[in-house]
Amino acid sequence: MQARSEVGDAYLVARAREGYLDAYEMLVQRHSAMAYRVALRLCGNHHDAQDLAQEALLAAWQNLRRFRDDSSFSTWLYQIVTRRTLNKVTRGRVADSLDLLGDVPGCGMEPAAQAERNLAVDAVTDALAALPFAQRVVVVLHHFEGLSYADVAAVTHSSVPAVRSHLFRARRTLGTKLEEWR
Amino acid sequence: MSEPPSGGPAARHLLGTATLPCGAEVDLLFEQVADGRAADLGAHQRECVHCQAAITELAALWGPVTELAATPVPAPRGLTASVMRQIRVLVRDVWYTLQTTNLGTIRIAARIVAALARDTARLVPGVRVALGRSTDNTPAGLAEHATFQHRHPHAAVGVLGRTAVVDLAVAVTYGNPVHEVAREIQQHVIANLRDHIGLQAVAVNVTVDDVLTHDGQSPAL
Repeated sequence: MQARSEVGDAYLVARAREGYLDAYEMLVQRHSAMAYRVALRLCGNHHDAQDLAQEALLAAWQNLRRFRDDSSFSTWLYQIVTRRTLNKVTRGRVADSLDLLGDVPGCGMEPAAQAERNLAVDAVTDALAALPFAQRVVVVLHHFEGLSYADVAAVTHSSVPAVRSHLFRARRTLGTKLEEWR
Repeated sequence: MSEPPSGGPAARHLLGTATLPCGAEVDLLFEQVADGRAADLGAHQRECVHCQAAITELAALWGPVTELAATPVPAPRGLTASVMRQIRVLVRDVWYTLQTTNLGTIRIAARIVAALARDTARLVPGVRVALGRSTDNTPAGLAEHATFQHRHPHAAVGVLGRTAVVDLAVAVTYGNPVHEVAREIQQHVIANLRDHIGLQAVAVNVTVDDVLTHDGQSPAL
């Protein structure tokens, strides 16, 4: 047995499988922000992202017995969120503006600096929204969520070379869009 | 050292080319910058003005992405509560009937009993994590399943009356006498359930299944 300063996700998953709802509630508290954030960055709409995060967390609970212990709970949840977002996007819903910072205070910035920052944010979010979904996923998971290439490959059921290839293309597209904005 | 370029490479031109005059691949430089390693110059890059100029240009281009990625996006308020509310609808609660008087019946959901037990256990010194369970997997839950068909739709009488069976899964701080912590949990939980919600016959099953340290150091276990 290995002792840690906090119980790990694997411990909470095991207890949740035994019927401890508290354990799953702790998992939800730990990962709900991630689920919402990824859905928001992929679909670009607050209300859809909130629904997708809820659906993903509920689906994870309903399928907890199918969760394989050889991957982490967060990787599994990333898979559920991205798959559900893909389903929603491909059903033809058009994403609204990716207003990712709508609720974030301006951190005491001067109005002019805040306006410039907002323009930069808009440029990035618009460029991100214009990417093909597969490229958007790897950019969000790697550059926004900080997942390694191997973890992104695990989430997307892909390979590290494929992830790198998508990222190369996505970065060039994003770079070109950002250069046009500058 | 290479000859300095006549001007800083414009990003548009840069992104339209595969390699720099020195032979460095633009995609790899972009990867280096985007992964936050712009300052980690290799031996060639430390001597090459083409690479240095390209890295500077790409870093400026990628800056807004880095800034956006670093901006916190908190979960909407109430998201956790909303998810758990939906899950509790799916999980059929076991009910404990506490009293039937001429004024009516008092019922308390099993999850309330479990939550009170859990919160009580968390106050016991040495307890780091306590999880309460009082649903389908407990003896009470099994009994409830067995008699579910006989329940009156409006009475929702718990089959165990004033009796509660609560399971607690507990992680304790390393170094505490585990059996004493577990016994103290049982005593506190039983007293609290009796005092706060009037449960007289309470069985508290404590499972200590993890040990945690204060500082993350792993004891030799």
